[in-house]
Amino acid sequence: MTSLGNSSSTGTEYIVRVPKNTSKRYNIMAFNAGDKVNCSTWTQARMERDMSNRRMYGEEETPEAGAGSEFGKKQREEARRKKYGIITKEFKVEDQPWLLKVNGKAGRRFKGLKKGGVTENASYYIFTQCADGAFEAFPVHGWYNFTPQAKHRTLTAEEAEEEWGRRNKVVNHFSIMLQRRLREQEHGEEEEEVAGEKGGKKKKKKGGKGGDLRIHDLEDDLEMSSDESDSSGGEDGEGKSKSKKDISSKAKAKKKKKRKGSDQEGLEDSDDGDFEGLEVDYMSDESSSEEEEPEKAKPNKGDDVPKGIDEASESEEESEEENKNEEEGKEEEEEEEGKKTPVQTEKKKKKEKESSGESDSSEDSDIEGETASALFMAKKRTPPKRGGRGSAGSSRTGSRPGTPSIDNAATSNTLRAAASKLEQGKRQAATSSSDTPAAKRLKMEPSSQSPSGKSTPQPASGKSTPSSSDVQLTEDAVRRYLIRKPMTTKDLLKKFQTKRTGLSSEQTVNVLAQILKKLNPERKNINDKMHFYLTE
Amino acid sequence: MSDKGQDVDLTRAKQNTGVWLVKVPKYLSQQWGKASGRGEVGKLKIANQGKTTVSFSLNEELTVVESSGETASSVRAPREHPFSMQSVGGQTLAVFTESSLDQITIEGMVVQRAECRPAVQESYVKLKKLQIEESTKPLRLSQRLEKAVTTNYKPVSNHTYNVEYEKKKKEEGKRARSDKEKVLEMLFSAFEKHQYYNIKNLVEITKQPVIYLKEILREIGVYNSRGPHKSTWELKPEYHHYQEGEEDEGTME
Repeated sequence: MTSLGNSSSTGTEYIVRVPKNTSKRYNIMAFNAGDKVNCSTWTQARMERDMSNRRMYGEEETPEAGAGSEFGKKQREEARRKKYGIITKEFKVEDQPWLLKVNGKAGRRFKGLKKGGVTENASYYIFTQCADGAFEAFPVHGWYNFTPQAKHRTLTAEEAEEEWGRRNKVVNHFSIMLQRRLREQEHGEEEEEVAGEKGGKKKKKKGGKGGDLRIHDLEDDLEMSSDESDSSGGEDGEGKSKSKKDISSKAKAKKKKKRKGSDQEGLEDSDDGDFEGLEVDYMSDESSSEEEEPEKAKPNKGDDVPKGIDEASESEEESEEENKNEEEGKEEEEEEEGKKTPVQTEKKKKKEKESSGESDSSEDSDIEGETASALFMAKKRTPPKRGGRGSAGSSRTGSRPGTPSIDNAATSNTLRAAASKLEQGKRQAATSSSDTPAAKRLKMEPSSQSPSGKSTPQPASGKSTPSSSDVQLTEDAVRRYLIRKPMTTKDLLKKFQTKRTGLSSEQTVNVLAQILKKLNPERKNINDKMHFYLTE
Repeated sequence: MSDKGQDVDLTRAKQNTGVWLVKVPKYLSQQWGKASGRGEVGKLKIANQGKTTVSFSLNEELTVVESSGETASSVRAPREHPFSMQSVGGQTLAVFTESSLDQITIEGMVVQRAECRPAVQESYVKLKKLQIEESTKPLRLSQRLEKAVTTNYKPVSNHTYNVEYEKKKKEEGKRARSDKEKVLEMLFSAFEKHQYYNIKNLVEITKQPVIYLKEILREIGVYNSRGPHKSTWELKPEYHHYQEGEEDEGTME
């Protein structure tokens, strides 16, 4: 600091001059103290006006003559502006910000914005001391506040919103920018033809990352173990490994930050409380980065879940199909047999479905399964009696005749009997597993005729008839429903809920099956589902 | 592009030249502006007894305050102005100058900030009073007139402007149709200058009756009823070759 004149104990006097006609305009360049700017260390500096706002003021330039111009356009525009009182502000070069570049390309950059209102109420003067000891005062023309500009990559508004949306999924926020940079580098490497520039840029980026120690949070953290790491690879590796470690690394980073904090451009230094709410990954030695882990976890989980319920869903789908085709005995047989006896199978199915969380449909499908099985059972009784009554390709019915035992068992209407029947049926039907659904449907249709014809006495016998206390699940009720509109078995079952009718689900199923057989409604396939309806 | 991107002269910066930044009241800077000769305005006294005190005293001749209205002599600017010194702590201030030739120079760093305060004396108080009076005066004033103003508008049988207008119209007469060839020539030369014309403008240029002109225009031109150049006529595409910035003659086909 230069001393301002000889000072004796009493004091000294200096003449103050205010020079006139100075060709130079004095301005103030203000830096924030925290930026630690020392002009004496500057080796080279360039300064220019930032003209990027010019286009805001410049209006659309229409050609004034020749092609595209209109006669009298200018006058009309002016008249119009006057009429509406539109006053457009001029673009004053004087008020434009400054761009200051210090120490060339690799140095710092500053933007200087003009501070308004400086010369309104008071004037600032710069007092400099001349060689003769007198002071010269120059008025300050303008005051510019210079702020350093970030050289590290920042996110645009869209990118920032994107990252914000992912904040709950991303565990390690420190490596967000790092990942972006790596991605970019990969892109750059792919386009090697334009490599010349890009290579330079990449290197610059890498070097920039290594060199810009002070600007970015992440880089400070990355550099916890080495001050100059020129290779971004090293940094990356460190970054990843760093992110694994916990508080110790953060503490180190904090220390580093404090040391280097001086050059940070106004970014807040990390305080102790900053790390409290951060999510920390487990202390594992995985080599993959944190960011990918949650993403990996997600697909894994996704995989597991479907796997878990795959079997159940398969069974469910199959059971639904059965209901669609109604007594699609084949599939049901196979499926059921594939696992266990129908009773147990269905119970199991129920359990599986419930455990897999598809409880909403489990009940229905369960009931459906039972309905189907019940219907199937009934149907199965009759084909053997009929003999080869089914359509020509029905090997199932063809295979029936050879099993008089089934006929005998037909009298019992419990599910267990049905199970045994099914087992036998399945063995015979195993060969015909390749039936097409169409064929099955054909089969079923004629075969369904038979139950209605022949089996009237049977449903009434043996089977646990519904208690007469049930008011709702009656043939009349079902008939009413079916007359009104076509319904699937599912729909019907919904109408007669177990809570309301007082029946157990099994009973409901059985009774409904009987009623349907009695009514023998017509079928229609709507939306791939078999609907019943009556017309009267 | 900007021609202001220049290297900054850093010589003084490297020398670490220090300067003071002083805030000076308006009236004082006004007085300073009246300085004559070499620009000497006063003296700066720095005393170092224990505390460093700085004070500025204005030269005698500059204490005369100009004021509108009242006589100037009664009010004078104070002479003594102690400086209140302040630190530069929160900011790093540098001074740079812009020369008329757009040369930017760093003049130095601010090492001390100060405020120039007038010593509170009677003269200062009076001065301030004067200033306040002046500033409170409204810019506009309502004044009551004794007599109504009757000199502006007098009844006239026919305004002069109207008379002239009618005369002009009579002279000109109705627009006469000239030969088609001539009209076309005029039109083409007009369309050389601008691409789009309003029918009224064309009427004025060619001095032709509107109907006749429209007929001709329909032959060679097209009417834009919509778009950026609304309700204007332009030549048909085959008649013009407009190139960017160049004017070409429309050819007749």
